[in-house]
Amino acid sequence: MPRDMGLGNAACEQYEALLEDYLNGELSAADAKVAAEHWQSCAGCRAALQHAAASLRLLRAAESSADPGPGFARMVIARIRAAEIDQAARRSSFWQPLVSFGWRFAATATLALGVLVSYNAGWGRRLQPNVATARPTDGIDIFAPEPARAPVNRDEVLMMVADNSHAKF
Amino acid sequence: MAASATALTLPLQHGEKRVDDRELVRLSQNGTEAAFEELVRRHQQRVFALVAGILHRPDDVEDVAQQVFLKAYLGIRRFDQRAAFSTWLYKIAVNECWDYLRKKKVRPLVYEADLSEEQVSRLDGIVSTDRPPESASARMETREILERMLGSLPEQDRQLLVLKEIEGFSVQELAEILNLNVNTVKVRLFRARGRIMDAYRRRLDPSGKGHASSAASRKE
Repeated sequence: MPRDMGLGNAACEQYEALLEDYLNGELSAADAKVAAEHWQSCAGCRAALQHAAASLRLLRAAESSADPGPGFARMVIARIRAAEIDQAARRSSFWQPLVSFGWRFAATATLALGVLVSYNAGWGRRLQPNVATARPTDGIDIFAPEPARAPVNRDEVLMMVADNSHAKF
Repeated sequence: MAASATALTLPLQHGEKRVDDRELVRLSQNGTEAAFEELVRRHQQRVFALVAGILHRPDDVEDVAQQVFLKAYLGIRRFDQRAAFSTWLYKIAVNECWDYLRKKKVRPLVYEADLSEEQVSRLDGIVSTDRPPESASARMETREILERMLGSLPEQDRQLLVLKEIEGFSVQELAEILNLNVNTVKVRLFRARGRIMDAYRRRLDPSGKGHASSAASRKE
């Protein structure tokens, strides 16, 4: 199905890629033969090809972009270095709050540990009661004589008198 | 960038043998600054051409091209070398161009203005005689005139024609960097040729004959 390329130049859709190859000199001998047979019988494709060939002449007359020169690579390297420095600075500024918090936490923890150790080593022990001196006063001495107590009835009085009399002899 | 530039000059020039891109990429991945600088030197012209072809804003081309190489440097450790370095680099360039245009919220600079009689006759001379201007300045001027005409084309048509015919990219390269099928590139190129010639003939014959047919061609 011919397709209008403008100004009445119609190309068959299935031949467009082939026509482009032909323009670029990239058509194989076999394909070129097939294409040539078609163009002989298709006025639309023939006209479209002429049209496209004219565009080739027109566009290839233009100057391509100039090489930026030897200084460009140096500028790129300088920009890379600047970007690396910037990146390193950004990375450190990102972690800085965490790092300073970490240091403060470590200092506090060390201080707390020091206090606990020193308390355990000396200061705390001094505050504890002296066990060696406290034991006789707190405990019960089983060898000590029973404290005398008042008799509660007549039998106990007689027993006490008898004990005292017996003790004298 | 641990290794110094002087240390790398020796292997790059050793025995007058040109180190290939793969080796330069490998050295760059190991932090060799001079190897990457050599890659920049080798590909700067094509990247420039590609960026210029897409942006169509001469003032910004250098800045974007530098950004392309910076991105390439930052990502080179992740490049596995399954594709050619140039293909990988050109894809970065295309993405960078679109990012740039999106950030700036601008379309590529397009303009379509009437050409003077002298400009039209100059183009006519080129088309009818197939004698391109020889001096660089005349060719540059021709490019400026053509850019005006190309401004009337759809953006993709303009880019394909500029990159293929003016900047010298192959159909295969264009397919790879624009993520298109090779056949699609060929068909689009062929149709774009019709459109640019249509725009050209409209200027040759502003009476309106060309306008009618061009409107018909744009319907498809």
